Amino acid sequence: MTGTEGLRALVPAASVGRISRRAVLSGFVVLTATGALTSCSSNTGFASSVLPDGKVEDHLNVYSWGDYSDPGNIAKFQKTGTTVQLDSFGSNEELIAKLGATRGTSGYDVVVPTGSYIPMMSANGLLQELDHSYLKNIENIDPLYRDQSWDRGNKYSVCKNWGTTGYVYDSRKITREMTSWADFLEVAQNEASKNVSVLEDPWEVTSMYFAANGIDPNTTKKADLDAAEEFLVHKLAPHIKAFNSSAVQSGMPEETFVLMQAFNGDVRQGILVADTPDAWKFVYPTPTANIWMDTWAIAKGAQNMDAAYAFIDFMLEPETSFRELDYIGYNTGVIGVEKMAKERKFERPDLVFPPEEVVKRLTPGQVTSSAERLVAIVNRMMAKAGS
Amino acid sequence: MKRKKIDGATALGFPTWAFVVFFFIMPLLLVLWYSFGYKPDLFTAHSNDILSLDRYAEALDATFIGTFWNTLKIGVIGTFLCLIIAVPFAYWMAVKLDPKWRALALALVLVPFWTNFLVRTLGWQIILSPRGFLSDFLQNIGLIDGRLDILYTQTAVQLGVVYNYLPLMILPLYVAIDRAGRPLREASADLGANRIRTLFQVTLPLAAPGIAAGSLLVFIPLMGDYITASVLGGAQGNMIGQLVASQFNTAQNWALGSAMAVLLMLFIGVAVGVCALVALVIRYFVRRSRRVVFLGGAA
Repeated sequence: MTGTEGLRALVPAASVGRISRRAVLSGFVVLTATGALTSCSSNTGFASSVLPDGKVEDHLNVYSWGDYSDPGNIAKFQKTGTTVQLDSFGSNEELIAKLGATRGTSGYDVVVPTGSYIPMMSANGLLQELDHSYLKNIENIDPLYRDQSWDRGNKYSVCKNWGTTGYVYDSRKITREMTSWADFLEVAQNEASKNVSVLEDPWEVTSMYFAANGIDPNTTKKADLDAAEEFLVHKLAPHIKAFNSSAVQSGMPEETFVLMQAFNGDVRQGILVADTPDAWKFVYPTPTANIWMDTWAIAKGAQNMDAAYAFIDFMLEPETSFRELDYIGYNTGVIGVEKMAKERKFERPDLVFPPEEVVKRLTPGQVTSSAERLVAIVNRMMAKAGS
Repeated sequence: MKRKKIDGATALGFPTWAFVVFFFIMPLLLVLWYSFGYKPDLFTAHSNDILSLDRYAEALDATFIGTFWNTLKIGVIGTFLCLIIAVPFAYWMAVKLDPKWRALALALVLVPFWTNFLVRTLGWQIILSPRGFLSDFLQNIGLIDGRLDILYTQTAVQLGVVYNYLPLMILPLYVAIDRAGRPLREASADLGANRIRTLFQVTLPLAAPGIAAGSLLVFIPLMGDYITASVLGGAQGNMIGQLVASQFNTAQNWALGSAMAVLLMLFIGVAVGVCALVALVIRYFVRRSRRVVFLGGAA
């Protein structure tokens, strides 16, 4: 991960000089043998999952984002007699790389991919099709958050948490009323110049331009992408101070920026610890923004299938779900949690439960053929901003 | 021909080179191999069905070159700053410090290394924040007017890399100065050299291997660093490591990412080569200007 690790690995090279040619050659025999063994085990397809047999196993391996479940909920589930082993990853790519490389032998049962990656993962056979007869609580999920475009009929996944993208601004520095992405781009080039942060996510950054100009954020048209690049690199980039997805949580208490593109739940966390919470205003921008959803899914090759279904079903119970929401700060999409939140003095519910008309205008981000182009655009923006 | 048995030392060397082969040479060759491939479709990160050098042409665009220059600037300044901080410190530790405290001083230099790299860097985010204590302190003593505004700038990255890599400069310098020993400095004084002359003609030339080793240890990982830049950098402190990482992570284009990584290695190699050449030229001229000619000799 860091440059220094490579160096530590190289320290034993001090003894390299003592290695004779013969020792090297004899070692190659070992290496070749190992290589032959590993090649035997590959290319035999995926290890198959163990189908549910009605008997809940005493062990469950969950691979999720770091700190992404209420420990109280996990403890409660463990009381049913199943030990939960939680491992964490930091990006969807990391999850996919691990599941792909182990071809069904990762040992993980339950995984938490982001919705837009489901088509890619199911196409590559990384996910187990869900048998809804084991998930009776799937009915608890609000129909708004079921049957999404990237997983019709919830074939592979169910909603775990969802959020949307907007922006927050310091109303002491920016006095005009802001409502849209066009406002964001306008203010970023004027009174907020050099004090703007955007997410470190090519889709999110480019979608601001597309949304502000009435273009579908998932566009793959070359003309749209060219126009976006022209504007973002030459007009917007010089005014941006940081491309940083975690800036918002410290950005408000530390007052590092005056205008920040951010996810709704992250803004809530930042505002809750800011000295002057009233100065910060969050906008669900018009005309549209991303709706992303992290999901519960079962990995192909899962060995503890009954426990996996039991675990996911448990998480979809309204009480459990509310505790998840309270701990993570993102909506779980389960019917009734909003009412509970309002009754139980959950702070700033407006930042977790956008009005229904907002939810209806959101666009789920997709991984499309323009993904690489979006990365190139944002890399050019960074280079431009740094020059 | 009689077969020789493998001796003990050679056998003990097995884990070392197996490690180097498995975790250094093979991954390196893999990166090289991937760089000749391409990204076949959206859901696949790389394929080597068709081999070409196209990824290199793709990688060598203005963004790459511009970011590389930016990184090189941070790298050269960072290495230089490490050097001028580390030389006096290593000298003090090896020469002036009471030997009984030396182990403690060394330990203190190394303690930050026990902390996770990322956590250490995040710590600077707190220190440098506009409402952090450093900002308050500097305002209180009247050194700055407004709030400290260096977080998410190139200055912050520069500071971060110096902090993160400084121990790698101090250690080889300390060893080199310590090994040169006191007698030669005393001899220099006995022969009439003053302290400054001793420093420049005895101590520093003898520490040269340490300076070279330290500079390499700092410069090379620094050029590939992307954590410091991601955490402290913002838009102005963008480094080339982030560009490579974005190809592997976000774009999922391992072929292009590999080509960038190979180019980066080549460029760093060239940069190190140029520096070494400059150092050799300087040494040549310094030696020539200080050449002592014995009169009445063979000539």
